Amino acid sequence: MLPGRSFVIARHRQRSMRTLKFTYRMELRFSSPVSRHYFALRCIPKDSPRQKIHLTRREVEPAEYLDELEDGFQNLKLTGGCLAPHSFFRFHVEGTAEVEGMGFQEEPLHPMYRYPSRYTAFEPEVAEFAERAMERCREAKAEKILEKAVCVMDYLHANFAYVPGITNIGTTAAEALRMGKGVCQDYAHIMTAVMRYMGIPARYVNGLMIGEGFTHAWVEVYTEKGWYGLDPTNRLHIDDYYIVLAKGRDYGDCPVDKGCFFGNAAQQQNIYVNVEEMEHDRDRGINGTAGG
Amino acid sequence: MRELIEHTEGINRLMARFGVKFGIYKNGEFHEQLFPFDAIPRVISREEFQKLEKGLIQRVDALNLFLNDIYGEKKIIKDQVVPEEFVFSSSGYLPECEGIKPPKGIYSHISGIDLVLGKDGKWYILEDNLRIPSGASYPMIAREICRRVSPSTFSSNPVVDNRNYAAMLKETMDWVNVGGIPVIMTPGRYNAAYFEHSYLAERTGSELATCSDLFVEDNQLFYRDYRDKKQKVGVIYRRISDEYLDPMTFLPESLIGIPNLMDVYRSGNVAIVNAPGNGVADDKGIYYFVPKMIRYYLDQEPILHNAPTYLPFYEEDRKYVLENLEKLVIKDVAEAGGYGVIFGSGLGKEKLSELRALIQKESRRFIAQEVIDFQDMEVCEGIDRVWRKADLRAFVLSGQTTRVWPSGLTRFSRNADSFVVNSSQGGGFKDTWVLSR
Repeated sequence: MLPGRSFVIARHRQRSMRTLKFTYRMELRFSSPVSRHYFALRCIPKDSPRQKIHLTRREVEPAEYLDELEDGFQNLKLTGGCLAPHSFFRFHVEGTAEVEGMGFQEEPLHPMYRYPSRYTAFEPEVAEFAERAMERCREAKAEKILEKAVCVMDYLHANFAYVPGITNIGTTAAEALRMGKGVCQDYAHIMTAVMRYMGIPARYVNGLMIGEGFTHAWVEVYTEKGWYGLDPTNRLHIDDYYIVLAKGRDYGDCPVDKGCFFGNAAQQQNIYVNVEEMEHDRDRGINGTAGG
Repeated sequence: MRELIEHTEGINRLMARFGVKFGIYKNGEFHEQLFPFDAIPRVISREEFQKLEKGLIQRVDALNLFLNDIYGEKKIIKDQVVPEEFVFSSSGYLPECEGIKPPKGIYSHISGIDLVLGKDGKWYILEDNLRIPSGASYPMIAREICRRVSPSTFSSNPVVDNRNYAAMLKETMDWVNVGGIPVIMTPGRYNAAYFEHSYLAERTGSELATCSDLFVEDNQLFYRDYRDKKQKVGVIYRRISDEYLDPMTFLPESLIGIPNLMDVYRSGNVAIVNAPGNGVADDKGIYYFVPKMIRYYLDQEPILHNAPTYLPFYEEDRKYVLENLEKLVIKDVAEAGGYGVIFGSGLGKEKLSELRALIQKESRRFIAQEVIDFQDMEVCEGIDRVWRKADLRAFVLSGQTTRVWPSGLTRFSRNADSFVVNSSQGGGFKDTWVLSR
């Protein structure tokens, strides 16, 4: 997500599994009390063949009720609410994740990932960009699904600028393309849209990445038998430095934190995300929260 | 019956006093208008109704099985009976409903099936309405008033009593109730069918609630009454569309929804009537596949027929549609309420070729149908009688069993040359008599 992060690319592949320690804290302060506050959080990573999660902390406050369920996209979701007046809201999630090195995960395909969604509609900007990306694929003789996906990722990485503060959480792939710049969410939306435009199923992933100061977003494309993760913002294959939080057709299906409340208050949000390697970090110590 | 016709004006006046109204938006402004009642009823014989009944039950059962399948195993897709893109690119398909098991496995509790009677004497299905079909209250109240105005009409004609709709609805709601009070949720008095919401609430003994009376606590739905007392809701018959139901799941900008309602529903703590996500089964594109669903799920031949329909999606159909455009009706699958319906015969050369190009480009977006020559019905206009196009909305209720209300809403077009009988487009309604012998 951050321009200065490219040093992580120089990684070695001999190890197939890593143990990552993650912390995710969010605090919302309201200038005056709010009430009837409902929230849905997808901030807890779920066990899967690629990641084994050991949760050491899960705090949400104030919460008059809190339930855990699986949403329509098989994400772990905390649903809850606080009806009484309150002037802050925070959650704190901490734990470790044993992550497999390969970004590939076998899973039957749900057909919904073939079709455009709210953020990834095949608008003219998307179609035009996709046609150019396809041209590049032909030039590069990329034929297999994964080759095409990597080619699209490279093309997107080279032709879209990482500039925070231009786009927001409501920006669609087409709008981001019109501006030519954006953040990880926009990279992921554009790539998802382009892959689907090319007839390759793709989905949007929210998650954590080592050294990140915020949550991150990337893409999974469907090859013959399963999903393969690619990070177009950093032009990387998903490996054991990434922890998956939630996935969906686009951002709208899997926001990490969504809420609504009654009250006329200004809000101030503070987020602290940290992911660091537990051991074997002999050759580099990547941690910290380089904000951005 | 003559007595009834003589009283047309009086009946309409009474209905106005009862508040039987229909709201429409015109130029962005809300107008409440009376839904004109015509006293000449549509009469359906006993035998004819029995056949209709069988066919409608069969159809709605298959549609419910389809919905169970789509949000569950998706066998009909895997077996290639319905192409996946007609399902998963439909705006009515809600992936947020994946994996939810609605109480008792019922998705469409109240189905409004629109039919027309062809000149060949056969009934044809025009469309299925599985989201929030409205209109049952109009014939309910019209019948009540007619009986009062002219009791002799009903003692001399063997008409099946239709005043049991509320009882049927209540039984349906009770059947899926997971424990708690029944509620009918209305978006408020500026809704086209507000009259109906309040009438049905009164008749079923349900609370009539707006979103501000309802809230979620402990992952349960509650109703707060005027004394500030809260009661758990076990079933909610909501009269707002899916996208406004829960701003935390659907449109975040919706102000009329109930935050976190979908989680309560997913956890099995409330029944929602009709289930969210039903739009995937009453899509105009899916309509084509309903006879196939009946064969697939029930292993039966469809009793009622669709209007002959072509899907430009299939090459063979597309060829036919492009060659015969001037005699077909073209429908945009994304539109509802009589909008997006184009009669090829009404288009000039230029418009026809524009439409041809559009169909070729976006073949998935349209269906084409033969124009059904359906029977006109007599309508009083002042002292004259005129002939107008009319359809029938049959109400099918799915609870412990699937039942057809022995009545229905017969709507007729306002203008002589109009085929569109949708009440959003003007027009009036008639009582529908089912004879008991």
